[in-house]
Amino acid sequence: MRVYRDDQKFLTFRINALLWAIVIVFVFLAGSFWVVQGAQAEKYRNLSEANALREIVTPAKRGLILDRSGQKILADNQPAYALTLDRVIMRPIVKNDPAHREKVVAFLAQVLGTPAPDIEARFEKGKAIPNARPIPIAEDLTMPQVASIQAQAVAFPELNVEPVQRRNYPYATMAAHIMGFIGEANDKDLAAHKDLKSGDLLGKRGVEMMYDEYLSGRDGSQYWEYDSHGRRLAEYRPARKEPVAGDNVYLTIDFDLQRRAEQYFIENEFVGAAVALDPRDGEVLAMVSSPAFNPNVYSRRFTPDVWRTIASNPFKVELNRAIQGLYSPGSVFKAVMAMAGLSEGAIDPSTSFFCSGSGVFFGRRFRCYNKNGHGDVSVAHALKVSCDIFFFNVGARLGVDRIAEYAHKLTFGELSKIDLDGEKSGIVPSTQWAAVKQHRKWYPSETISVAIGQGPLIVTPLQVANMMAAIANGGTVYRPHVVKMIEKVNPDGRVERYQVASEVLHKVTLAPKALETVKLGLWKVVNEEGGTGGNARIEGLNVSGKTGTVQVIAQHGWVKTEGLPYKYKDHAWFASYAPKDNPQMVVIVFVEHGGHGGVDAAPLAKLLYESRFREQVLNARLDLSNPDTLEAIKEGKAPIPGQTKKAPAAPAGSNPNLGH
Amino acid sequence: MARENVRTFSRLDFNFLGTAIVIAAVGCLLIYSATYFTDPSLDIFRKQLLWLAIGFALLTVCLFVDYHVYFDVAPFLYGFGIVMLLYLMVFGRLTANVRSWIHFGAFQFQPSEFMKIFTALMLAKFFDNYDRAYLTPKLFIRAMLIIGIPVGLIIIQPDFGTAATFFPLVAVALFFGGIRWKIWVAAILLVLVAGGLGYGMLKPYQKDRIITFMNPDRDPLGKGYQVTQAKIAIGSGGIHGKGFRQGTQAKLDFLPAHHTDFIFATLGEEWGFIGVVIVLGLYLFLIMQALNFAKKARDRGGAFLAICLIAFFVFHILINVSMQIGVLPTTGIPLPLISYGGSSTMMFMMAIGLMLNVDMRRLGD
Repeated sequence: MRVYRDDQKFLTFRINALLWAIVIVFVFLAGSFWVVQGAQAEKYRNLSEANALREIVTPAKRGLILDRSGQKILADNQPAYALTLDRVIMRPIVKNDPAHREKVVAFLAQVLGTPAPDIEARFEKGKAIPNARPIPIAEDLTMPQVASIQAQAVAFPELNVEPVQRRNYPYATMAAHIMGFIGEANDKDLAAHKDLKSGDLLGKRGVEMMYDEYLSGRDGSQYWEYDSHGRRLAEYRPARKEPVAGDNVYLTIDFDLQRRAEQYFIENEFVGAAVALDPRDGEVLAMVSSPAFNPNVYSRRFTPDVWRTIASNPFKVELNRAIQGLYSPGSVFKAVMAMAGLSEGAIDPSTSFFCSGSGVFFGRRFRCYNKNGHGDVSVAHALKVSCDIFFFNVGARLGVDRIAEYAHKLTFGELSKIDLDGEKSGIVPSTQWAAVKQHRKWYPSETISVAIGQGPLIVTPLQVANMMAAIANGGTVYRPHVVKMIEKVNPDGRVERYQVASEVLHKVTLAPKALETVKLGLWKVVNEEGGTGGNARIEGLNVSGKTGTVQVIAQHGWVKTEGLPYKYKDHAWFASYAPKDNPQMVVIVFVEHGGHGGVDAAPLAKLLYESRFREQVLNARLDLSNPDTLEAIKEGKAPIPGQTKKAPAAPAGSNPNLGH
Repeated sequence: MARENVRTFSRLDFNFLGTAIVIAAVGCLLIYSATYFTDPSLDIFRKQLLWLAIGFALLTVCLFVDYHVYFDVAPFLYGFGIVMLLYLMVFGRLTANVRSWIHFGAFQFQPSEFMKIFTALMLAKFFDNYDRAYLTPKLFIRAMLIIGIPVGLIIIQPDFGTAATFFPLVAVALFFGGIRWKIWVAAILLVLVAGGLGYGMLKPYQKDRIITFMNPDRDPLGKGYQVTQAKIAIGSGGIHGKGFRQGTQAKLDFLPAHHTDFIFATLGEEWGFIGVVIVLGLYLFLIMQALNFAKKARDRGGAFLAICLIAFFVFHILINVSMQIGVLPTTGIPLPLISYGGSSTMMFMMAIGLMLNVDMRRLGD
């Protein structure tokens, strides 16, 4: 044990010095309190008697969401009336009249037409909100409701009708999965954002959520003096904060394309997804997930019934099938197979295999969908007629791991990093995947299924779009995005615009020869007689694509999908881009239980290309070198191209290759 | 040995223990008064009684075992504390944007509070071993590292308020450890530079607090509202106060955090200037006695332990009381033994026990 030495004095001196310093500070603090409690007591007593300042939040206007042209407003704000209840006013009344609380509940139940327990639930939820802030009871009051509440203002002074801005989506279900919706902050939101208060609204899904920091703006506040009866006296102006409106968000979505695509699904009562991308920068021009929900219903505060209805919907309306739906790619995957086979040297453009309608691989017999066989096929022809036997051979030569390598390069099994929430990455099987995730060996015969896009391989429609875009633009994988621009309107009226930059995620090196051959095959699919994608053919525009039909259940023998019940019907795919030489748009169509890719999916792609390239198509069809045509135009008798001459769409069934 | 023990325990300073208990009792009354209206079930009040009971048990443990034994195990305690802080970094749940709580089922506690005690023990042990009048630069850096490691881990959480409460240990090391003037100059420069960098690293809400404090009119987040409400509460209390349970500011939730960080405002409102002076007097009495313990301590380690622990009290009291009337910016620093809170109540009770421990085992009489 150590005992003090000569530093005893040293320590004692310093301890005494510290003590005196503390005493001085304490005296200073007591003096400060004397100033507040003695000299200024009168002033503060008056403020306290007025029951002090209360903060009244003035909500910021949420930013608009517009289409890419800025012509169409997809989300705006509408004036509405909300009802709030002020507990600071209610409490003294309840103290004098214990029955008052029940009276309020009964009155609200009668005026709002909601059962009393729901109102009680609202009160209960409001307990999380600081007492000094009124709790929201209802929004979207009708004028008669406003009138009957204000008529009872004397009996129920705690009820306030406040003008508010309500989120409104003028086109209802349109682009609902992209827009998302807003809702009340839950406990998780409150924990994550320090500035949020219980009862605040914020984006919950889609762009409303992902871009909430831009859209939400900043609430302002006013400080009001209240008296002890809860009457508003005067505003304490110096503390006033004006609200800052949210920024406007411009989507990359083309209103016209989006509407046409959605109508196609609605008119045909299809369930599925469609994606239109610009392969030059990753902008999403249209993204459909059908069926869609109505964000106007979602964005209200108090609708437990609605939630139950939505949760029980068998078609999962909330699911954004374009980025969250996981499906086998089917024959669409053959484009990847061709690319892998050619790049790896497993095949060359002239390699051909004989298709007799079936073949034996690794001791098992696999069938081509065409039981009569395709005869001798090379890679471009195999893509055109979607011959299974050809790609079984390619798969057997490559092995699953080399297939997986190319699938990953072309974005399968990876998140596309799109600026939307909840994206899924899918599965690209490999020997490693089998060992790590499934704890089993990979059987070579499984590779044969993967070679035609079946088996454990699952992808999202957006990934297929990304793959097609990478083939179309020669190997660049962009980060797809749905927001084009953010527009900040400053309080002084100055407008600042921020473009969302296109971002290259990675570049795939594709051998020029392989790329050229695959592109030729894809062009043949649509444009040569006997190709499976003839329904997407447009005169004057070179559309290239690949159809796909995915068996939902294992079938033995050859079964026609038309005869099967809905849930066993095949899924239909069509993945495409156009124009052939300078691709400007990629279109992916996926129809759940649709039947055939060429029949059910391809026509939508055609519609979208016609809409997007309207002038180009018209100009190409008008043969301006023919003097008769020029004469006819002058006389106003020119045939309207595309109407006089219908594209030769083969009726379903007549072409044995349609749909694969 | 038995007689030694009897003599030791006969020297238990009841004045000091009594002062602490009176302060804690005042705290309970204030918590009851501040919450009975908004929390009619009295959950908060009852929990505080529970914290004090647990705190008293910990105080007894801290009292009975010779503090030199605590010095011997200090490295283990310190290491344990570091492990808990690391655990928080990995598994901590975010509570109000800060990862400073470990959740055990329904209970949660803040390891950083206990780390204060462990760090104080470690520092005192350090000074027990090195008993020269001045620290060499090498030793100075070692002392700073003892404090710096937990502070760094707490800043990562990120909880600047709590990290700042380790500052008194730095002050003790500088002022009582003995530093030559050259090192003083270097240290001050370092603090200025680090302060500038630190401001850049602050989260926006923390910057807002500083800006609000310097210029209340700017008040971008309405943080000045809290201080305004606290001042109204305190000022309206006047000299005599409004009386027990008669305060209105706190009761009606006009004043946020009225049972934790701003409980002193409740005191000012209900007990007036007289109550304020009495509580400040009780604290001053406690501090004077603790510094007396340090003077009479058996050895350098004991003296430093008492000084380190009372320095925590002084720092918390000064910061908390100053922010009530806007002398300093608003921070989440509790008032020792009065503010509601499990971890901080236990921490301060342990500190009281250790200071009594040092006094009981002094030499002489």
